[in-house]
Amino acid sequence: MTNHWIDIQNSDAVLIIGSNAAEHHPVAFKWVMRAKDRGAALMHVDPKFSRTSARCDFHVPLRSGTDIAFLGGMINHILEKELYFKEYVEKYTNAAFVVGKNYAFNDGLFSGFNAAARRYDKSMWAMETGPDGGPVIDPSFKNERCVINLMRKHYSRYTLKNVSDITGVSQDNLLKVYDRFCATGKPDKAGTIMYALGWTQHTVGVQNIRCSALIQLLLGNIGVAGGGINALRGEPNVQGSTDHALLYNNLPGYHATPNASWQTLAEYNKANTPVTALKNSANWWSNRPKYMTSLLKGWFGDAATPENDFCYAYLPKLEPGQDYSYMYVMDKMYHGKLEGGFIFGVNPMNSFPNTNKMRAALDKLDWLVCSELHHSETTDNWQRPGSDPKSQKTEVFLLPSAHRIEKEGTISNSGRWLQWFDQGVKPAGEARNFADIFVPLFNKIRALYTAEGGVLPEPILKMHWTEKFKADEWTKRINGFFWADTKVGDKTYKRGQLVPAFGALTADGSTSSLNWVYAGSYTEEEGNKSKRRDTTQTPMQAAIGLYPNWSWCWPVNRRILYNRASVDENGKPWNPERAVIAWENGKWTGDVPDGPWPPMADKEKGKLPFIMMKDGHGGFFASGPADGPLPEHYEPAETPLSSHVFSKQLSSPVYKFHSSDMDQVAPPADPRYPIVLTTYSLTEHWCGGGETRNVPNLLETEPQLYVEMSHELAREKGIQNGDGVIVESARGRVEAIAMVTIRIRPFTVMGKTVHLIGMPFAYGWTTPKCGDSTNRLTIGACDPNTTIPEAKACCVNLHKADTLTEIG
Amino acid sequence: MPKSFLIDTTRCTACRGCQVACKEWKDLPANDTKQRGSHQNPPDLNPYNYKIVRFHEHLDEYGAVVWNFFPDQCRHCTIPLCKDVADRAVPGAIIKDSKSGAVLVTEKSAELGPKNAQAVINACPYNIPRLDPKTKRLTKCDMCADRIAKGMQPICVKTCPTGTMVFGEREEILALAQKRLESVKRRFPKAFLADVRDVNVVYLLAEEKEHYHEYAAFL
Amino acid sequence: MKKTRRSFLKGLSAGVICLSLGQLGFDLKEAQAFAGAIKIEGAKEVISVCPFCSVCCQVIAYVRDGALVSTEGDPDFPVSEGALCAKGAALFSMYSSHHRLQKPLYRAPYSDRWEEKDWDWTLNQIARKVKNARDKNIILKDEKGRTVNRLENIFMMGTSHASNEECAVIHQAMRGLGVVHMDHQARV
Repeated sequence: MTNHWIDIQNSDAVLIIGSNAAEHHPVAFKWVMRAKDRGAALMHVDPKFSRTSARCDFHVPLRSGTDIAFLGGMINHILEKELYFKEYVEKYTNAAFVVGKNYAFNDGLFSGFNAAARRYDKSMWAMETGPDGGPVIDPSFKNERCVINLMRKHYSRYTLKNVSDITGVSQDNLLKVYDRFCATGKPDKAGTIMYALGWTQHTVGVQNIRCSALIQLLLGNIGVAGGGINALRGEPNVQGSTDHALLYNNLPGYHATPNASWQTLAEYNKANTPVTALKNSANWWSNRPKYMTSLLKGWFGDAATPENDFCYAYLPKLEPGQDYSYMYVMDKMYHGKLEGGFIFGVNPMNSFPNTNKMRAALDKLDWLVCSELHHSETTDNWQRPGSDPKSQKTEVFLLPSAHRIEKEGTISNSGRWLQWFDQGVKPAGEARNFADIFVPLFNKIRALYTAEGGVLPEPILKMHWTEKFKADEWTKRINGFFWADTKVGDKTYKRGQLVPAFGALTADGSTSSLNWVYAGSYTEEEGNKSKRRDTTQTPMQAAIGLYPNWSWCWPVNRRILYNRASVDENGKPWNPERAVIAWENGKWTGDVPDGPWPPMADKEKGKLPFIMMKDGHGGFFASGPADGPLPEHYEPAETPLSSHVFSKQLSSPVYKFHSSDMDQVAPPADPRYPIVLTTYSLTEHWCGGGETRNVPNLLETEPQLYVEMSHELAREKGIQNGDGVIVESARGRVEAIAMVTIRIRPFTVMGKTVHLIGMPFAYGWTTPKCGDSTNRLTIGACDPNTTIPEAKACCVNLHKADTLTEIG
Repeated sequence: MPKSFLIDTTRCTACRGCQVACKEWKDLPANDTKQRGSHQNPPDLNPYNYKIVRFHEHLDEYGAVVWNFFPDQCRHCTIPLCKDVADRAVPGAIIKDSKSGAVLVTEKSAELGPKNAQAVINACPYNIPRLDPKTKRLTKCDMCADRIAKGMQPICVKTCPTGTMVFGEREEILALAQKRLESVKRRFPKAFLADVRDVNVVYLLAEEKEHYHEYAAFL
Repeated sequence: MKKTRRSFLKGLSAGVICLSLGQLGFDLKEAQAFAGAIKIEGAKEVISVCPFCSVCCQVIAYVRDGALVSTEGDPDFPVSEGALCAKGAALFSMYSSHHRLQKPLYRAPYSDRWEEKDWDWTLNQIARKVKNARDKNIILKDEKGRTVNRLENIFMMGTSHASNEECAVIHQAMRGLGVVHMDHQARV
């Protein structure tokens, strides 16, 4: 989230799209209700009417996979009617930047497309540069290649009629949302967009989110209280586990994983440290070398020296362009290319798409180590229904894991608050926390290398490691230490003392930090700030519910990101009633500002608000995404349509997929699979349900797999409420109980009726008679940027079941 | 002065925190339930669920979907009919605490026998009490008497994220209910407080009781 | 620093006044008997965090004699103000579920059952497998002769259930081994 949970109360318009906030973040919905109490418009745009819709002013049903069309229509509406926040757009965004001449867009394809490789040459989308290498900026917007003019042209095709035809949303409903949300384009109004997996789980996931960036920048809603783009993160610590990068493509703190082209730290830094020609751009990533060296120092301690490149050479290097994400892992596994591995606290045999392939893939492993609270569809895959254990080779180690109340440490909530939890009781039986598994395991591996030698023992043996895990010690390591006596300002820190903030990190090896964004969370001066329980606020902070003294928030306790955009060039808040920061008497008050510099009116020292962007401006046009510099509508990989109104390019030209015998895809408008399936979680179960199905009081509330469908579809198929139903896709077959409801209605799409059904994915065979994985139906087509699969839209058919075997 | 609850259904998201928290606090065992084409589970109050959230959907006059949620529980009536009936058979089987206003089923209810127990159940205008076949006692919400005796809120109220449920002095709750009603009426002109004079659990309903539950209101 | 940790005895929202046993009136005896002892009597309050969604509602765990007796929302946590959803409300029974795994289990190749093992044996087995796989398969140079030091044939999946500290431990260990196939729920 750019903002945080409590801040939602400050919104004048809450657009919930791609999320079912009341069901999946029920307690946070308190703040949506508070916004409503203050008179905010609440809108829910989603394929089905849910418990979220029930509390909103209105619900707009949207065909799954058409969010870009819906939002593209809003962008067009804003530009056509001049509803944008002019001063904000002119001063703080790249609207006036001139795009290079190589950029073009033609019938659904951007310039630079290589059909054979399914890839774009993104250099074709570069900005025009001046003699100093900086961007060419035309504040008059007269240049037809100004970003704002290209946007205008691009989205002029997103007329109400076109959008309505594709999304299945009536033009009245489109305008209802557009009018209410665009009313926040005024300086003293704020609108928030709340999204979740309903946006990410598409072959155009990143571009769904980019649309919200375009809208929020146009309306001046980034950086302000009650604004922002708010990803309602799912898992308890998915914010933290992303920050700490349990991901192939990142190192902790949002650094790219080294690849083979960057053989030295200098090469790495050169490739990953942007340089700006704009004097008033903070270009915060210019600090990357300090954070990278401090990370290496954290990992290798005294073994990391300037002479040995801080042990950079030991780090694994990816092959450039290769994808090592889980969908690729599973495909390689299916083809027998992996020997063994660890699956901890995740249940892929229920939650990953195209589960039949996933289950068959897992059979190919020689060994598997799992750590869980309970048996799951993953741990017990070898004895799943229809499998003969006597023919399953995989050796499985199943390690009992500790429950939250049985361990201590920190987690990071969706608003980036770092919260400490104490250990209440000892772990059940012999259960252990994950670190008490990995620390001794790694020590055993070290002992083997010490005793026997082996290939490349150095990274293992030289590592700055520990004999026994202590959470508090690692909270400190994450914050970081001085490794040499160092003077910061007037204060001298001794070797071994904690760094006060990331401003103190250096590239010379005198500091360490396992994650620079957390530097400052645990200091000599104030101790472990994640334990803070102080609710005091200044009146200015209290006016927006900032709670700066409760726990701590990354970065540097800044509660609202890009908050320099909440003030004008003189540092005066756009909305004084709900000010985030303000420049008063030569200093900032309110939240921790995005950098200490004075406001932009100070031509010498002032800085632009988007400090993480190279040139300091919010980016409408971006050459980063693999699938284009501006979001464009494409159908899901499986679609009930054979064509659409926006271009000849039916689906994304660059989405990722696999083509094994178990990766079947229905062709467009396949009459065998005419119905759109969308999948979701539900309040009473947690994601794949691996934990909550084992909690009897929760299973009681939602005991079995269901399929929600309209009365119209049920009539067509001769299905009554409560009947057993078989749902089939090109990949699998799933049993469910029919839930026939007015909450789902047929869509009219380009003149034809399209039915949509919805199913939760919380059920699996290890819980007797509750049903089995819905994801046996879903597709392994993935977003080209994130490789997140399109679990939210695929095509299926269904019929009434004669008998049920999975549900009883 | 007795205590009262306000249950403002226009704020409820049916997260069922109240339903589950009640079971957890009371250590009630789970029922073996089935999916029957509804989210409402267990389908009804039972000896192991003193509180359930009821779901009801319909289309309004403009064709828009309305989905109503009704966290159902004992109303702790100001003049409890159940107690009147029970008193005739086994005095003390049901008591009313004059201070808190809680209507409490005691262990003496086991002495009622099936016939009298059924008469008590039938007497309830809201169809609340259930007979536990194991203990032979009547079961229902007790206003978390143990918690309120310690100055704590009933667990359902404590757990509610959206402010649907509020608990406090009756006078203050009635004032709050009136205030909320006035505000809700701007959007839902048919909104009303169900049986407000007769109950200590005051439901704010946005429309006719039929759109919630057969026993949502008596009058 | 102002601490505002409200005790439950005072921690009720405006308009709610404490009710003591002495105030209960004419049914005092019965009501007293009825109310009985509260189950969290004398228990220690430990602050934890609900392990489900990223609202991260803080929770109070009531612990007596080393055993968990109840859980409920932390009324001071500004985000939740003491509230919980169905999942958060069920924390106690999740902790105490009889389905919990209690000991390391081992399933041998082609076996049809789990066997209980001790930790030391289990971790020794895994350490040996990891070392063998690494020594045999780590790729020191790629096809172009560039140093890559990567181990491709084992993988790590998980987990956002881990604390930040556990994540840091896992990431460091995996990169030390050279693992590149590392991923978790952030991509699901």
